[in-house]
Amino acid sequence: MNSLIKLELVRALRNRKFLFFTVIYPSALFLLIAGNADSHTEVDGTGLTLPTYMMVSMASFGALTATLMGNSERIAKERESGWVRQLRLTPLPGRGYVLAKTAGAAVVSLPSIVIVFAVAAVVKDVRLDAWQWLALSGAVWAGSLVFAALGVALGYLATGDAVRPITMIIYFALSMLGGLWMPTTTFPQWLQDIARWLPTHAYAALGRAIEQSQAPHAQDIAVLVVSFVLFAGGAAWLYRKDTLKA
Amino acid sequence: MDAMTTTAVPATTTPVVGFDQVTKTYGSVRAVDGLSLRLYPGETVALLGPNGAGKSTTLDLLLGLKQPDSGSVALFGTSPREAIVAGRVGAMLQSGGLTDGVTVAELVKLACALHPRPYPVADVLARAGLTPIADRKADKLSGGQAQRVRFALATAGDSDLIILDEPTTGMDVSARQAFWATMREQADQGRTVLFATHYLEEADAIADRVLVLHRGRLLADGTAAEIKARAGARRISFDLAGGIDESALGALPSVTRIDVSGQTVRIQSADADATVHALYGLGLYPRNLEVAGLGLEQAFVAITAAEEAKQQ
Repeated sequence: MNSLIKLELVRALRNRKFLFFTVIYPSALFLLIAGNADSHTEVDGTGLTLPTYMMVSMASFGALTATLMGNSERIAKERESGWVRQLRLTPLPGRGYVLAKTAGAAVVSLPSIVIVFAVAAVVKDVRLDAWQWLALSGAVWAGSLVFAALGVALGYLATGDAVRPITMIIYFALSMLGGLWMPTTTFPQWLQDIARWLPTHAYAALGRAIEQSQAPHAQDIAVLVVSFVLFAGGAAWLYRKDTLKA
Repeated sequence: MDAMTTTAVPATTTPVVGFDQVTKTYGSVRAVDGLSLRLYPGETVALLGPNGAGKSTTLDLLLGLKQPDSGSVALFGTSPREAIVAGRVGAMLQSGGLTDGVTVAELVKLACALHPRPYPVADVLARAGLTPIADRKADKLSGGQAQRVRFALATAGDSDLIILDEPTTGMDVSARQAFWATMREQADQGRTVLFATHYLEEADAIADRVLVLHRGRLLADGTAAEIKARAGARRISFDLAGGIDESALGALPSVTRIDVSGQTVRIQSADADATVHALYGLGLYPRNLEVAGLGLEQAFVAITAAEEAKQQ
């Protein structure tokens, strides 16, 4: 299985377009949004400066891109091309394919997170304690597993031409409504009420709690755990259905 | 099951492949219909059948990619998946795709890494004739080259059974010959080889056992020579002067089919010697008498046509 993970990585690192969107794009977007903000303006009710606030948003966004976009389309495509069937003719365990895809996405998402942090620290003077940087990296990275599971589920749910639009709609809805691009406090109240229950919102909130040196909210943890169980369960169910059909 | 012959192997040998009353249905179509068969170590077996005969479904069931509705499938006495995990089976399916963005050598390296008893990557590449294109991306290959990569993936390790679904599709004549030469080497090392093919001459030339599949059922099982005999394997043609009594000719021994056009009579016979002997016994004087062997392809058409006639 390690050999398949290695192959997934080689491929991901070779794909410049994918690397640009996962590794460079979140940092670029961060500079675009937070670039002109001075380092002292605080986002309402958070006690965090705009750059600090947006740093978590963009790191989460980058991890979301790497895990969700990378997996769903590739899995759908490889199911169609017969590569998944080809692998089933080898001693690779059935889960191996999905695990390799998830591991591959996780490895690519880590640099996208770290680069956003580095850009924020160097360009916008974001300062956190050492434990906060570590906890933040760990939390954002671990949380991205939720979206890796969603990516796998979508890859088994949709095929061919349908998978890209479906993934895009979910990706933009999660990014925007989850408040990764702008604070949800700018939303009308009814939209804020919806946004609070999105896994992306809980995901970014988890990172912000670390920046604020606070314990994470129980609701955010619950939303993430429930989302993970739902997405991973759905992925496992769809995967088994696909295996019987193959 | 009207399978013609059974291979003379002691019943105690564990079959490499064992199908027992296997049925697989898609909606109202019975893709595989009560199929029972056994393959034994060292056999080279061709699976012949027209499109839709159930060849691909049979191979999918055999590899555990599909589950039978009823009946049982065993490889080496275990489940297909267990046999694959143990590295005993190498398979090359038409529907097996290659992933993109990686090179031929990287794919072969992966297959070798996954196999419990792998061959060196360089050897596998060389045997499949891939050494010159080892660094090419897998998505930039011709059909024949992709087939050779699939072959390399199927032979990355020391497997006991090799399964090939229409392996030479997309290959030119010389590549095809080279492919079968490699395959014969594999068979000579004692491996069991099962291949489905559209090229009937390949079944004739390579297989020591031919299974004819039609509408999911086994129509014939024997050597290529036996299959030909079964279909009326000799073609007899001659000219007759004067009136031709078609019913008298049709009643000759071993005749399976008769065509009369003008002065010319064409007969298919399961036993040409007996037919010709009786022909002279009628007191007739045939001219331009020719007796020729029937190709496997014609035999195959004859067998499936006979089966269809029987069913109507």
